[in-house]
Amino acid sequence: MQRRGFLKLLAAFFTSILSGSFLYSFLRYLAPPSKSSEASKIIVAKAEVAEGQAKEIIINNTPAIVINRPGKGYIVLSRVCTHLGCLVKYEPDRSRLFCPCHAGVYNLDGKVISGPPPKPLPKFPFRVEGENIVIG
Amino acid sequence: MWKGIVEWLEVRIGLKDFLREQFTEYRVPPDINIFYTLGIVAFFAYIIQAVTGFFLLLYYIPHSEHAFQSVQHIMTEVPYGWLIRLMHVVGSNLMVAVVFLHLISVFIMNSYKKPRELTWVVGGLLLLTTLTFCLSGYLLPWSQLSFWATTIVTNLPTAFPYLGDWLAYLLKGSEQVSGTTLNRFFALHVAFLPPILVTLFGLHLFLVRRIGISRPPFSKNYPPPSSWTQYRHEEYPEGIPFYPSFFIKEMYMVVLYMVIMFFVITFMPTLFLPEEASIPADPYTTPLHIKPEWYFLAPYQMLKLIPNKFLGISIQLVLLFIFLFWPFFDTSDERDIRKRPLLLTVFFLTIGVWIILTIWGKYS
Repeated sequence: MQRRGFLKLLAAFFTSILSGSFLYSFLRYLAPPSKSSEASKIIVAKAEVAEGQAKEIIINNTPAIVINRPGKGYIVLSRVCTHLGCLVKYEPDRSRLFCPCHAGVYNLDGKVISGPPPKPLPKFPFRVEGENIVIG
Repeated sequence: MWKGIVEWLEVRIGLKDFLREQFTEYRVPPDINIFYTLGIVAFFAYIIQAVTGFFLLLYYIPHSEHAFQSVQHIMTEVPYGWLIRLMHVVGSNLMVAVVFLHLISVFIMNSYKKPRELTWVVGGLLLLTTLTFCLSGYLLPWSQLSFWATTIVTNLPTAFPYLGDWLAYLLKGSEQVSGTTLNRFFALHVAFLPPILVTLFGLHLFLVRRIGISRPPFSKNYPPPSSWTQYRHEEYPEGIPFYPSFFIKEMYMVVLYMVIMFFVITFMPTLFLPEEASIPADPYTTPLHIKPEWYFLAPYQMLKLIPNKFLGISIQLVLLFIFLFWPFFDTSDERDIRKRPLLLTVFFLTIGVWIILTIWGKYS
């Protein structure tokens, strides 16, 4: 390799390292690490969620909903629509969860029935302890 | 004193020569029509947005706990604050309408053809910058409408695998739309986008003047299509002077723009401010009747109709690409759209589908 060619290659190498370092710093600056919310537990009294009813809660900064499904028991779902992030609304008379932004429809298990959402609503783990539902 | 200033400038920069060359001796095509004034009307609309935006900055507080209150303060307590804000809100919508009309007229007259492909591309980028201005400004009042519209837009990248979630996070600066998102949209709106807009506008104007204004292809004297093999400035020695003849037409249109703006402000002040725009943002309640602005209704309805997120957003990106680089797809020499039935059909079909989707999106 000619000396000139070698120097060009070396200059290109160091320039890319330098530009890459700046680019990396800028990208990290723009996307700071998310604040990890402490894993919290939410306690909801069973009496608050009668059969066919639901209660909206917030767990780890995520809006969620506890539903007492007729004949199927409790379920805790995220309310964040998997399409574009709007919050779904529980419609007890139609036994479904409806997203007002792009008309996504989920059943009470969180599965997509119609509309553009690509995935079911995420579920939160919970257990029933006496008269309470402990979520998280 | 005025004469003194003119003389002072004349000695230093040859002001009279400059004005003669650029205005009185500068000739535009003799058969130029009223649609050629839309560019200057759009420019005027940008100026109004910049001036009213500056005045709004004096009272607006870019913080999630104060933004909504500060906008209410401007609307109800600051003397004539309502006027400045309504000029900004109504102006932003009218500005988009004018840019759309400008684009449609350029398309109908096929003025994007060789050698003006770059002028079209830069114009397309100007439209995208304008829409980004509208989007970033939309969040600033921190109302229910702005919060949820921004939630939807910032989640669009999540349709793409691997980088999508990271890009959405980059836009928001947090997992959900938050005060951090407000800060970065504010920075985008008042500091990042203005220099981009000015640069693109300067480039657009440079290209228009460097190449010369295109002649409408509808007159009887229009020359037959010719191939363009080397650079030349398109001149019209038989044309009409830019100043005063054409300039007066432009000013008529600017006045018409102001008349429409003040008509809306006076008689339809809530036309662009639905109920959700007057409710402070609530991150835990999505309003039932959330709709985007009229110019985003067609893509919004399209997203609703296509039952696959990735496909829906990908189709829109492909359409955007075709729009932006249209001059490179349409390579025919013929500029008279009446002699091109296929192009005419594509045009009416596109406009028709756009209008149907917009009305459907509004009332669905």
